[in-house]
Amino acid sequence: MKTERKLPLKDAWVIWFVLGVVMLNYPFLHIFNKDVLIFGIPLTVLYFYIGWPVSIFVIYLFSVYLGSHTDEHSPENVMKDNPPGGAT
Amino acid sequence: MISVTVVALTSLLYFGILFGVAYYADRRRKLGRSLIDNPSVYSLSLAVYCTSWTFYGSVGRAATTGIDFLAIYLGPTLIAFSWWFLLRKIVRVSKEQNIASIADFVSSRYGKSSLLGAVVTIFAVLGIMPYIALQLKAVARTFDLLVYPLTNGSIMHVLPKFDLHFDSALVVAMILAVFGIIFGARHLDASERHEGLVAAIALESVVKIIAFVAAGLFVTYGLFDGFSEIFSDFLIRFPERSHLLMLGTGENSYAHWLTMTIISMMAIMFLPRQFHIMVVENCREEHIRSAMWRFPAYMVVINLFVLPIALGGLLLANGDTHNADFFVITLPLQYGQPWLALLVFLGGFSASAGMVMVSSVALSTMILNHLLIPVILKFHTGAMNLSALLINLKRLGIIAVIFLGYLYYRLLGESAALVNIGLISFVAATQFAPAVIGGLYWRQATRRGATTGLILGFFVWFYTLLVPSFVQTGWIDTSIIEQGLWGLSILKPTALFGLTGFDLWTHALFWTMFVNLGSYLAISLVTTPSTEELEQIPKFVDVFKPAPVTTEKTRITRAPTIIEFVDLMAKFIGQKQAHTAISDYLGNREIDEKGGLSEHELPKLKRFTELTLAGSVGVAPARIIVDKYLSARGSHMEDVFDLFGSVNISRTASREQLSVLYDAARAIASGKNLQSILDEILKIFTDQFKFDLCVIRILDEDRQTLTVRSQRGMTSEHFGESERDLTTDTFIGEPFLTNNVTLVNDSDFISKPKTAHIIRREKILSFAHAPISIEGQPVGVLSAFSRTAKGIFSNEFSELFLNLAGQVGIAWRNAQQTDRLIAAREQPRELAIAKDIQLGLLPTGTPEVIGIRLGGLCIPAKEVGGDYYDYLLHDDGRLDLVIADVSGHNVGAALIMAETRTMIRSRKEHFNTPQDLLCELNQFFYEDLTRAELFITLFYLQYSPDTHQIVYASAGHSPTLLWQAKLQQCIRLDPEGLIIGVKEDFPYEQESLKLEVGDALLLYTDGLIEAENDQNELFGEERLTDLFSEQCHLPPQEMINYIVDQVRLFSGHNNFQDDVSLVVMQVKPE
Repeated sequence: MKTERKLPLKDAWVIWFVLGVVMLNYPFLHIFNKDVLIFGIPLTVLYFYIGWPVSIFVIYLFSVYLGSHTDEHSPENVMKDNPPGGAT
Repeated sequence: MISVTVVALTSLLYFGILFGVAYYADRRRKLGRSLIDNPSVYSLSLAVYCTSWTFYGSVGRAATTGIDFLAIYLGPTLIAFSWWFLLRKIVRVSKEQNIASIADFVSSRYGKSSLLGAVVTIFAVLGIMPYIALQLKAVARTFDLLVYPLTNGSIMHVLPKFDLHFDSALVVAMILAVFGIIFGARHLDASERHEGLVAAIALESVVKIIAFVAAGLFVTYGLFDGFSEIFSDFLIRFPERSHLLMLGTGENSYAHWLTMTIISMMAIMFLPRQFHIMVVENCREEHIRSAMWRFPAYMVVINLFVLPIALGGLLLANGDTHNADFFVITLPLQYGQPWLALLVFLGGFSASAGMVMVSSVALSTMILNHLLIPVILKFHTGAMNLSALLINLKRLGIIAVIFLGYLYYRLLGESAALVNIGLISFVAATQFAPAVIGGLYWRQATRRGATTGLILGFFVWFYTLLVPSFVQTGWIDTSIIEQGLWGLSILKPTALFGLTGFDLWTHALFWTMFVNLGSYLAISLVTTPSTEELEQIPKFVDVFKPAPVTTEKTRITRAPTIIEFVDLMAKFIGQKQAHTAISDYLGNREIDEKGGLSEHELPKLKRFTELTLAGSVGVAPARIIVDKYLSARGSHMEDVFDLFGSVNISRTASREQLSVLYDAARAIASGKNLQSILDEILKIFTDQFKFDLCVIRILDEDRQTLTVRSQRGMTSEHFGESERDLTTDTFIGEPFLTNNVTLVNDSDFISKPKTAHIIRREKILSFAHAPISIEGQPVGVLSAFSRTAKGIFSNEFSELFLNLAGQVGIAWRNAQQTDRLIAAREQPRELAIAKDIQLGLLPTGTPEVIGIRLGGLCIPAKEVGGDYYDYLLHDDGRLDLVIADVSGHNVGAALIMAETRTMIRSRKEHFNTPQDLLCELNQFFYEDLTRAELFITLFYLQYSPDTHQIVYASAGHSPTLLWQAKLQQCIRLDPEGLIIGVKEDFPYEQESLKLEVGDALLLYTDGLIEAENDQNELFGEERLTDLFSEQCHLPPQEMINYIVDQVRLFSGHNNFQDDVSLVVMQVKPE
């Protein structure tokens, strides 16, 4: 990965997690909690229908990032497998 | 309407497919090609989160209270952000510690605490009961809906509540119990992983989502014209219900929303079934990475059609919410799609069955490991092979858990909506969060903190959630809600301490977390972790840190062999599993020529054994078992080990045998008195093997008989208490004389007539005697009698019996040694007492005699001595001085000295001269002294104040020194005389002399002049004479002190080798 600056993983998930909690709670939610229909769908419902998949997409990006940036030398990220098949 | 046959057959077919998949998965696992070892299956198995509550309840919730149901799925999505760190950490710890349940996890983190494991288990069972009830309710209701015709959306026929023959919920409970056993408890698995179960769950998740989406598509696009039409129509038709589509209104407050988010975040992590599927059944940590987005995506899809179905159902039912929970099945039924309804039924059944199976398996594992095994270990039943017992108990546990759920459903389930029942369980699962998360990141967290937090949290949970639900069913009077407990308004379960304005869930979450987290933090801060906790902390908190290269280097003394570990494992998980496990473990590890591992490998093997056992019996019991076994072999607890080491335990010894020997060794090491130890050993022995009588007889050496020392069982006095002569004519005498075990397995065939009649009279069927021996020498006999069974004494038993008798021998020997030690220790005490008495016999002061000054001192060399001096004042004013030395420094010498004193004191008026006295003393003591091999030297001097005349005689005593002031010289007064006790009739001589003013006499014992310095020089009479001559002007007591000090200076020691006594008399100037 040359000298690419690494995203501090723990910080990143905390930020996304907090952001997620904030965006899906009062008062942020209040912005979209209006008795309005957009494309025939209530705004609140639409917000969830869009916001929810978006947050999952963020996790997806995060997991892809994890998959490609797993530092094999860091014990933090060494995959610990428990291969099935063998009785332990 | 669909016929019962079709529903039943379809369901049966579906069961068959599920079982087929599970069987196939188990087979694949055995072949080493796991079916579930991929991220998709893992993600699908996590969807066990979506139960019938999701399947039916979400629609009902959406139709009645609105979109707050979404929070239940958004919470898990949010927490999924943390999975790579939080969940992976839990998985890593659990794999390394072989943790089999959430109770194991909590118990293991806090020092493998058995109490904590039990607490978590009990609360988990209580907390999940409502949730299982919910599943049963859902399946039973949908089954009824399918097979009975509908009229206007309501069921025409409802089965009678308690008619068990037609109770569909009961049938469902039975089917699910069978499922749980088939998938989760076919055999005991060392790793507690069930690939078949996971595969079945994954398949069910596919069926659920297909069924629900199909129903959603049918309603949205078949009955309506898409999403927007449904929403628009609904808002036009029911404008007053627009709040269903918004938050912050009525029931859907933001606080409520936040509460739902939090409890669902915690539930996805800590519900026992989620923990089981996510952590215990996880194959690879890598799977978590993709499950982080796949699982939330699954939830989005399954929830996509909840609102359309709910609103569509309301539109079609004219706003009637009566059956809203089951719109998803009633709509296809009503609108001519029975096959779709059947698919939905199967989806709903899948949702319920998956949850119930995993929950019951997870909970029964917890019950087995944390409630039953500790009890079994305590009072184990004597079964030789525990593995069969364990698997059956686990099966029983599954049935019990499901039927507890059924009971809850029957008693409470009818009154509450699906969602409400489920939320009670969610709040319960949330109670585990502080202990688990805190335990992973906070080092200071202690067992006491965690235990208190959990107990208080669950107490408040019970009060704020279960009590109101009991009130709802009429079990508890409504007054408790309205007026509070005992009429105290601050104790209202729904407005505790006056907290009002919140919904039931927010209120409960706040108070439970307040007490749980609060006490967890506070008590953890004020308590310190125990040693065992400290050992566990790094295994949890620092699980991602690289392990130090040199791990445990503690040596296990007297290294156990691999075979012993295998034997131990086999006792719990079966022979085959144990061998597989050990060969996996050993792999390519180097084994030395003796088949043993290096000594530093052993702690690792011990740890491995513990982990393997933990898989089937739980973390805490595994540790107890391995430790007990190892300590039985002797790695630590040296005392018990030493005792244990003295017996030969064969490798085939059963756990029970080991346990008896171990307990006996522990009793011996307890340091109690011999009787208690013997009684305790017999108690352990009879309790374990259920004998009718056990007796310990020890040889009475004086009478040459075997005397009963301890007895347990039958109280037949004649039989048990009677002594036995040492003869081979009796069964008891024989083992003693031959030093061999005697086993009689059938008393009908006994050869010794002397014993036969007693044995028959007492109806003894079989008995055994083993010699109690110390280093091969018999000292007694241990006997066991049974009135109930013949043929119970096997060769294996004989070995145990002999070992146990050997232990009794050790106890006997220990007690004798202890007695001797005590006696030895008491001797100085006796001597000290003798010394006190003896010193009391010496004069405490000096008599006042006109014209003279007196002084005296006695320094015993040991505690008691044979020296004696005295001043005796006669009625006529004469003064006698006596100084004596009894040979030896023991109590005997002291006694003679005391006797001499008594004799002299009592007889002083009866004889006139020292000569007479010595003759009489010699005659009197001759026999005693000869017998005791002692003798006395004595100097007796009589002074007449009127005449200043002294008369004196000596019995072989050191000469007395006389300082003659007038002549300025020192002379020796040494009349002839034999030592007392040598010759019976000896004519002692006496001499006399007149003292002048300023004269001084020094009487002393030989200890003074025989004081030796380091050059082996004696102080000697000459030095004493010089000293006395120089210092004779000093007052007597000062002179004595001065002389003693000088002798001490000479010898260089503070203590004298021999007793030292001095008496000084000075004639004062007139």
